[in-house]
Amino acid sequence: MRRREVVQFLGAALALPFIPRGADAAIKFAQELHLRLGDVPFRTLNRGQQALVTTIAEMIIPETDTPGATSVKVPEFIDLILTERASDDEKAAFLAGLRDIDVRAAAMGSNRFIDLPAAKKVELLTTLDGSREDKAGAGLAFGRLKALTVYGYFTSQRVEQEILKLQMFFNGYQGNVPFTPAV
Amino acid sequence: MPTMTYDAIVVGSGISGGWAAKELTEKGLRTIVLEAGRPIDPAVDYVEHVPPSGKRYRGLGNRKQVERYQPIQRHTGACDEWSSKFFVNDLDNPYSFPEDKPFYWIRGRQVGGRSIMWGRCVYRWSDLDFTANAREGYGVDWPLRYNDLAPWWSYVEKFVGIQGRRENLPQVPDGEFQAPWPLNAAEQKSRDILLTKFGGERVITNARLAVLTEDHDGRQKCHLCGHCARGCITLSYFSSINSTLPAARKTGRLTLRPFSVVHSVIYDPVKRRATGVRVIDANTKEMFDVNAKVIFLNASAMESTRILLNSATPEFPNGLGSSSGELGHNLMDHIMDGGATGTLPFAMDRREIGRRPDAIYVPRFRNVKTKHPDFLRGYGFEGRAYRPGWERGAEMPGFGASFKKSLSGDLGPWEMEFGGFGEMLPRHENYVELDPHLVDAWGIPALRVSCVYSENEKKMQEDMVVSATEMLEALGATNIRPFKEDNPPGLVIHETGTARMGRDPKTAVLNSHNQVWDAPNVFVTDGACMPSTANQNPSITYMALTARAVDYAHQLLNRREL
Repeated sequence: MRRREVVQFLGAALALPFIPRGADAAIKFAQELHLRLGDVPFRTLNRGQQALVTTIAEMIIPETDTPGATSVKVPEFIDLILTERASDDEKAAFLAGLRDIDVRAAAMGSNRFIDLPAAKKVELLTTLDGSREDKAGAGLAFGRLKALTVYGYFTSQRVEQEILKLQMFFNGYQGNVPFTPAV
Repeated sequence: MPTMTYDAIVVGSGISGGWAAKELTEKGLRTIVLEAGRPIDPAVDYVEHVPPSGKRYRGLGNRKQVERYQPIQRHTGACDEWSSKFFVNDLDNPYSFPEDKPFYWIRGRQVGGRSIMWGRCVYRWSDLDFTANAREGYGVDWPLRYNDLAPWWSYVEKFVGIQGRRENLPQVPDGEFQAPWPLNAAEQKSRDILLTKFGGERVITNARLAVLTEDHDGRQKCHLCGHCARGCITLSYFSSINSTLPAARKTGRLTLRPFSVVHSVIYDPVKRRATGVRVIDANTKEMFDVNAKVIFLNASAMESTRILLNSATPEFPNGLGSSSGELGHNLMDHIMDGGATGTLPFAMDRREIGRRPDAIYVPRFRNVKTKHPDFLRGYGFEGRAYRPGWERGAEMPGFGASFKKSLSGDLGPWEMEFGGFGEMLPRHENYVELDPHLVDAWGIPALRVSCVYSENEKKMQEDMVVSATEMLEALGATNIRPFKEDNPPGLVIHETGTARMGRDPKTAVLNSHNQVWDAPNVFVTDGACMPSTANQNPSITYMALTARAVDYAHQLLNRREL
């Protein structure tokens, strides 16, 4: 249950008043979780950035009856991509955009996004979702974070197996199969 | 190292080299295949069933490594986190081009060559293509016609195993087909609509693919994993590793030598014949010779020509086969990156199961019955209709539980894409030559490439956008996104020409049976031999020309004329 609690805490919409609201406590929880899961340590994102990325990733794909972004280590995947794959310019633009998200949060009454009340977090992310094509700043950071969260989530082994039930080969091709959305 | 002697040498083990090896050995010739690259072990190297989660970057690719070692190869989509190992290291295999004329030369150096990661589309040509040069005054006339090659297409198609739908279209004649996969619901409806709205001129048909829909000759039918460029453990798509090289091996007359970089052809001016090839061992860099009565160059279009250019003698100071002045010239590719994508308004209650390796084709319709005012020749469209799943998430508004559920349990509407592949005219001023200042990792002079698209190709590309948009509008599509990119030639990976066939040794490097006019026991049967490139994918034609040329070489050997 502790793991779920951590995820819920980091997921802004699920932040509860009886859970410590400081970023340090969240990071501590997350670090304990990651250590227990044998994660690769973060190499690019500092503690504050980890908390921000984790919070937003979990808001994009929250834990429900199926795993959320944090459970399948999306923040670690994002750190890997930033560390080993992104160019210096891309990394700098992303990190600057994260800072800009906190600047936007400050304008809404908290110094950091993760300290905003749940409703304010949703309000800000909704705004950023509309500007995710921006070439710089908070909109750019959110756009990339969203893309990497979706990608990292659906290409994780657990999601491939448990949710997508990914088939790597088929007995035959069918091109006209009835379909009803499972939503 | 002592000189080795065989009946025949084949340089290159890719799509045409494999055919040369099969045909030569089956006709009783002891044959050595010299492959510059490494051997491939399908059990280790084929990774088509490794999901994204099994890769460090989940399929996004090791970007920094690729940018460092494969700055050219990375431009092709198949050079991804699974398959980049099948593409060359650009640092070891350099070439040059003028700054204002970039050319992307996409190469595979391993046993199997690019037949491991080729696109597998196989279309016959028609006399509309074979007569085009003569009719329009470009390049030289093809020294053969459809009826000369038709039996050889049939011969190779039966061995290759091709799924396709018979359409009775004169511009892309039907071949020897296995049963096609069905079109999916959206493609079938689109086919029906376009047949009506364009009076039968624009036909959505199955892409004709060298992929099995029925078990064939010890190879299993396709299991629809959809990742052919990563290999195929069931041998379902045609490659030289899967098909021709095993057939050659079965004869007991094949010697396959990997890590053998051919430097040049050795020419005897007294006999006026080639005696063999000079080879550099890729690992030890030791040089040695291999002798044979007949030599097939199948190293890929530009590599075979590079070998000829590096085979200069006092008789042929500009390279073996250069007496016409055309060796290295008339380089072609196709032109692509013109078309459109749109959202279809129908079949929302339908989906597909299984990943077909390729989907649909719209054969050429320009300059078939009526003349287009802006350009010569024509183009076909490749495409598919598909419903995006979670992949649409980055572009989709929203976040949170409902967003997640939509990506997990719903599909986007059908998207239809038409991407054009058009013919490039043969032009003397598009050429390769030896770069006097550049050598590869084995000290062999490298190529300098000078090649650009002409206005004809650019106008054709513009028309691809127009006609793709027209078709999507006819389908009632919304959100139509035309696209046109100005990529340099080479990227279609259909480079052809530079040692063209022809009727006259004064204007062609090869005769009508792919023999070098200057050295009749040297045959070039890969893409180098093509006097024009049509708009169809070329590999099945290389295969047919190779089988035909081997048959001819065998006749000459039996008559002791080589």
